[in-house]
Amino acid sequence: MDHDPEYEEKLKEFEARIARGEKIEPGDWMPEEYRRQLIRMISQHAHSEVVGMLPEGAWITRAPNLRRKLILIAKVQDEGGHGQYLYHAAETLGATREEMIEALLTGRAKYSNVFNYPTLTWADVGVIGWLVDGAAIKNQTMLARCSYGPYSRAMVRICAEESFHHKQGKEMVIQYALGTPKQKAMVQDAINRWWWPALMMFGPHDTDSPNTPVLVRWGIKTRTNDELRQEFVNEMVPELHAVGLSVPDPDLYYDETTGNWVHGEIDWDEFWRVIRGNGPCNKERLAARRKAHEDGLWVREALEAYARKRVAGVVS
Amino acid sequence: MSDTQWPRYEVFEQERPNRPFQNVGSVHAPDPELALLNARDVFVRRPDCAGLWVVPASAIFAKTAEELEADNTWKQTPVPADAPLETWLVFQKKTQRNVMTYVTHVGEVEARSPAEALAKALEAYATENVYVWWVVPERMITRSSPEDAGPWFTPARYKTYKLPTEYKTVTQIRQAKAQKRKSKQR
Repeated sequence: MDHDPEYEEKLKEFEARIARGEKIEPGDWMPEEYRRQLIRMISQHAHSEVVGMLPEGAWITRAPNLRRKLILIAKVQDEGGHGQYLYHAAETLGATREEMIEALLTGRAKYSNVFNYPTLTWADVGVIGWLVDGAAIKNQTMLARCSYGPYSRAMVRICAEESFHHKQGKEMVIQYALGTPKQKAMVQDAINRWWWPALMMFGPHDTDSPNTPVLVRWGIKTRTNDELRQEFVNEMVPELHAVGLSVPDPDLYYDETTGNWVHGEIDWDEFWRVIRGNGPCNKERLAARRKAHEDGLWVREALEAYARKRVAGVVS
Repeated sequence: MSDTQWPRYEVFEQERPNRPFQNVGSVHAPDPELALLNARDVFVRRPDCAGLWVVPASAIFAKTAEELEADNTWKQTPVPADAPLETWLVFQKKTQRNVMTYVTHVGEVEARSPAEALAKALEAYATENVYVWWVVPERMITRSSPEDAGPWFTPARYKTYKLPTEYKTVTQIRQAKAQKRKSKQR
């Protein structure tokens, strides 16, 4: 694109449109880098929704009562739908669904690290709702205002549905926190395991996030990783304390001057280890996605055969 | 790994009876009937749906305001000699706010080609601040039937556990805090 003689002029107009709060839509001019960054972000986001069905899906058959089972089924189903909204948004930029699925199944694509941790007890389902979905909503609320129309619309739709996910988890955690000693111990254990992976969901520190400046400049992100993470910690800590739960961070303290809860150092070695495929469940998650894809083959073939027969007038 | 290359269908949803259909996204399917079923599963997990349409993405002629300003050579596309006059539906995007729907159905034109349909739409439906135009041949639309509306769309209404308002977490936290204050005072 750099060879386009009008590139500078087009870029100026593009940035002016974003500054005016206009949405960029499919068909509009955009720099190649804007397209590339969006495809990267949206497809990773879509994969995260799809893989995100697995850790919680494992507990559907073991839900403690019918209400919790209905809630969990609906939540996992929503995540499948969210993946679909996002694949659609990425397709408007020229990525094909087949390429994206292929990248996920072959292990080339990234998805959120948090889904590479195991769900060991039922309390994990509640903690994922409150902490993990709570962290995701911070990011998603920001992206609902992003400059690319299809991504913004997918995020608005997702946020509307996601707040149910967050609240059902929060309700469950609070109930257990205020419940029997055994329930409280179970939910505290889950908090202890999910707290740090949830903080890592916001991504590397701003100083180690090379993509952030250009994403902010083009209105894709409007806030940085560290800003969102701090806001999340500030909201979570007082509420966890209010229900008698502790945060597994010995260095955590309240800074009177800034009004922030300052967390201890994140284990970035662990973060990079999990991203590079060596987390507790990376292989298991990919194997589950591949199996689902292969097991679904006969369904896709049957649907195609049916469609062919309809065209031929064999079935009506 | 084997996969399909099924065509993409754009999905339009009507929130309530007598409201215009709006584009909500797309699905892939081997035929329109299955596209409609996929659209129901993907886009109607919540209430507020009275009807669905699907249209093959390839049948839609779309232009953004920026494209219309930059280039009007599309207007010169000749109408094929044998092309029949047919009805095209006109859709527009008219807001830059953060919303979950894209273009909205605004009316119809009679035309013999995509270019002719858009040219007529621009004449008939031009208003201020139209950011995107779509024209869609009516014969390419597959619609959910009125008989389907009940079984397809009403169950979501009774699944109230999908609503965030079902969870009284604000009250829960407030009560926990009050309890804590009380025990401290003792």
